[in-house]
Amino acid sequence: MIPFERDDNGQLVASLTEPESALLSSLAAQVADMLDELGSAPYIADPDAAALYESVGIGGSTTLHDDPAVARLLPNAYADDLDASRDFRGLTERSLAARKIANARAVVDSLDIARGAGGELRLDAALVQSWMRTLVDIRLTIAARLGFTQDEYPGDGGGDDSDGIDSDRLDDDGDGNDSDDAAYDAAHEPAGDESLVMRDVYDWLGWVSESLMEAIE
Amino acid sequence: MLEDTDLREETALDVPWVTLVWNDPVNLMSYVSYVFRSYFGFSRAEADKRMLLVHNEGRAVVASGSREEMERHVKAMHDFGLWATLQKEDA
Repeated sequence: MIPFERDDNGQLVASLTEPESALLSSLAAQVADMLDELGSAPYIADPDAAALYESVGIGGSTTLHDDPAVARLLPNAYADDLDASRDFRGLTERSLAARKIANARAVVDSLDIARGAGGELRLDAALVQSWMRTLVDIRLTIAARLGFTQDEYPGDGGGDDSDGIDSDRLDDDGDGNDSDDAAYDAAHEPAGDESLVMRDVYDWLGWVSESLMEAIE
Repeated sequence: MLEDTDLREETALDVPWVTLVWNDPVNLMSYVSYVFRSYFGFSRAEADKRMLLVHNEGRAVVASGSREEMERHVKAMHDFGLWATLQKEDA
């Protein structure tokens, strides 16, 4: 990948190889699909009422999701008040998820265009926002899958391999379904090739984000 | 229901609320600083100061005001992928 640079028209331009493009596109689509599946759950029994709620962006779930990736993308709004968090989530979760899905799909679309243009990726101001946010959502999702701990912050460009992982909770089957931690830990090997690849992808995505931030500033 | 709403508005007027951003192991320092500048309109120095508070202290207050205002900020932070919550100022 040739890092992002600002061109004369104020657009950000980068160049991606085909495998890089395919990887980013797949990851963005996975985040969109993961969030999209939440919307299909029958939160409200009456279909007319559900359609009405959905049309105005409310009707989300009432508690923090079991999947740690989803829980991090759609977090509680109140640290110390579960009732208030539940009310807030009911009113805002679907629209938050819908905005994240729209951003991720915009990233996929821009990559399709780039692939038709010899790998040259061009981002206008709106796409920059979609890219920035989707890169974060992808990295948050991978971090949750890899079991990064909350109190570490390897936020300096993604090159720090010495921390950020609690090796007891590496997710080596990629399903991320580790809501039952005790059973999960017992049933999974602590490390695997897939986790190492994920860590490399995570670090590379950090580098892409940093390149985007540097081009914006 | 109507009573709940009234109570809630009274509370919002009486006690200031704050928006907190919490440390997480993922978001880049440059990104957090950018979000603080672009969304809250902080200067670079102010944004970096609060970003470093998040990094070093685990959390930082980024706004205070009415409950409704803080809910809007929290929603915006969640859009950016930052981990944010609101609470009463003295809590």
